[in-house]
Amino acid sequence: MESNEEGDDFVPIEKFLKMDHLEQYVYRVLDYTSRYNNSNSYYYAPINLVGKYAKYPSYGDFPEAYFLRSYGNWWKKSEGYQLDYRPQDFDPSGAEDYITLEFESAVVPRDIFIYEIYNPGSVVRIWGKSLCAPKCSWVLLWEGPPQIYPHKSRIFHPQMRKVNCLLNTIRLEFNQSHLQYHCSIDAVLLAGYQPSTNLQYNMMVKGLVDSFQKKPEVRKIMSDHIFDADSGGRDLFLNLPYEVIIHIFQYLDLKSLSRCAQVNKMWNEASVDPVLYQNLSLKPYWYLVNCNTLEYFMNKSKTLKKLDLSWCGNDSIEFKEFVAVFLRKDLRLKYINQWFQPSMSNLNKLVSLDLTSTDIQDNDLMTILKANKNLKHIIIDLCENLVRLDQIVEVVEKYNKNLTTWSSWKTSSLTAEGAKHFANCPHLKELDLGWCLINTDPGNCLERIASGCRQLKRLILSEWRGLNDYLLMPVIMACKELTQLDLLGIKNISSDLCEMALLMLPKLRLLDISFCEFVRQEEVEIWRQRYPHITIQRSCQYVVNDYLN
Amino acid sequence: MQPPRGVADGVGGWRAYGIDPGEFSFHLMRTCERLVKLGRFTPTNPSDLLAKSYYELLHHKKAVLGSSTACVVLLNKENCTLYTANIGDSGFMVVRRGRVVRRSEEQQHYFNTPFQLSLPPPGYQQDVLSDRPDAAIADNFPVEDGDVILVATDGVFDNLPHSLIVNELVKVQGERCASRLQMVANSLAWMARNLSFDETFISPFAESAFANGINTIGGKPDDITVILATVAI
Repeated sequence: MESNEEGDDFVPIEKFLKMDHLEQYVYRVLDYTSRYNNSNSYYYAPINLVGKYAKYPSYGDFPEAYFLRSYGNWWKKSEGYQLDYRPQDFDPSGAEDYITLEFESAVVPRDIFIYEIYNPGSVVRIWGKSLCAPKCSWVLLWEGPPQIYPHKSRIFHPQMRKVNCLLNTIRLEFNQSHLQYHCSIDAVLLAGYQPSTNLQYNMMVKGLVDSFQKKPEVRKIMSDHIFDADSGGRDLFLNLPYEVIIHIFQYLDLKSLSRCAQVNKMWNEASVDPVLYQNLSLKPYWYLVNCNTLEYFMNKSKTLKKLDLSWCGNDSIEFKEFVAVFLRKDLRLKYINQWFQPSMSNLNKLVSLDLTSTDIQDNDLMTILKANKNLKHIIIDLCENLVRLDQIVEVVEKYNKNLTTWSSWKTSSLTAEGAKHFANCPHLKELDLGWCLINTDPGNCLERIASGCRQLKRLILSEWRGLNDYLLMPVIMACKELTQLDLLGIKNISSDLCEMALLMLPKLRLLDISFCEFVRQEEVEIWRQRYPHITIQRSCQYVVNDYLN
Repeated sequence: MQPPRGVADGVGGWRAYGIDPGEFSFHLMRTCERLVKLGRFTPTNPSDLLAKSYYELLHHKKAVLGSSTACVVLLNKENCTLYTANIGDSGFMVVRRGRVVRRSEEQQHYFNTPFQLSLPPPGYQQDVLSDRPDAAIADNFPVEDGDVILVATDGVFDNLPHSLIVNELVKVQGERCASRLQMVANSLAWMARNLSFDETFISPFAESAFANGINTIGGKPDDITVILATVAI
């Protein structure tokens, strides 16, 4: 994937082969890391990217388009957030999420049009999965920094790298950390050239038309100044004490390390030292990681302390099974992110457990909770197979005394009765119960929680439609540490209550009152001036009637 | 594949609770349309489409509250069959060469209280009539080229005598021209509206009231929506 085909000698294949130009919208969504919807629901779901745009040129927060869940850096301020422990493997574009899209016909890609209809500017990379031999692998088509763009819908049309391979799968990577609110995408249009005959198609897939392209030269990796084995015959670098070499190598990213390993025997020895692989973050190299790479690292490093496998092996069942086997052997795991395997039930040293979007069931979760008494962070967002959440909260109340983070966003089985048990978790700082009590009367559960959890910093109550000023008041009176309060979609909240929250919560920094219909926009504007240190979120819908659509 | 047609009639009583009665029915139909565009429906099962759309409303960020009757019809050209789903007192009617060959049944709990899909505000669940979407009457029916299909709210059926509707529909038997269809649809809507304000007219609604022991006369001012289509195979 390193080869840059866009040299002077690059000839676009459509120039010497008769091919048909084709424009197509997304046919199917294959994979994604972020979603705002329950799996049985299509509002805000990735599936909205299929077919022609539905809302463009309207701008705003519409359920008919794909909606990403996170925005800004609010979630990075959370207690349970894992800091980058391998800064050398840092991704300069800072991609946080991706979505993989399939198109009906394979084309040689030339143009891509991304219909962004809310907070545009988050696409940072575009990949294509080549169908052509010899390497059927991911090809980087475009890369760029996240963009600041005015609050308008737009068709994003980046200049893609010219390649001569056929592909029908595209992956978009997003970095939403600079956005003021969620971003939303309506459609993706791929334009390119399609082989006009089956013969042509088969020749391209087998790599037979490839000979027109010049093979890129292998780049020189190491500078001659540091190391010149031929002339001097002496590797000055290796005069350094071994510990110093290892120390220097610790600052290298994985790619440089593997290059060093190819220099000579001594360098190889140093660069594969297990000490260098105690903490691993393979997410930036997802397109290169498979069972073999993983096995190599696992054997290399018996002292593995941290391992980030995000984005790796998402299209491979073998990979998942491989990791499951590994988990069975290794019981030291402390942090788990968006992964569940039954073998995890053996773990007992967990501090942080993030099972977002997994299919974990009640009994497995309760076993894990009981075995890991030191658990501080429990995240079970979108876990739709959990049907006895009330019981799970009771287990947490009894066994996990140190609980600081609880997030069960968009789960459906919690009741107001169950939520009362959080009152007995005095260390609780972050409580995300968004979309948990959509259509039930919350009763006095917030009063109980407010009296028990005085340290609450983040409270997310999105779509608690039965909530009103009276029931929310105890929180504002008691939880003075609150920095984030999310009241999205609560119809009955009044302006008076919002103003009281702004006035009486000294540490408040974020207040989300989108779709709170009784709060007028003019009032929000006044508050934004009066309380400039507080971000007041309010989503909008500017409908543009497009009769041609 | 023909797109489905449907009407939904919001229940006006919600105005007293500060809820726009049109909102629920509007979103219900919009969501049906979107599900069809995304291919998330079975062409032989409009009641499932209605149910999916109803459950979807809960996931809207904007709290969509209220209740509504609904009628959705779907023409499957392959087997020349019309698939229908109806809940409450909106309905459809198929006319072939001057004869009504099929019409929907009204579903009422009691007089002037139709079956309805509803999403009441939390805490009001006990006080509100709410029928599950599977209470919809599903029907299917073979159609012929030229058949006239009318889908309308109760504002039409409660004010226009049966014979008057049939007289109008006959005019567009086999009609392929959209503007002529539109003209007849307009005249049906206008007649229904005019008669609904006629205080001396013995409307179908008044007859039905009389049969239920209520002595009333005149039309019934109500929301009026008319969808008119002809079968072209």
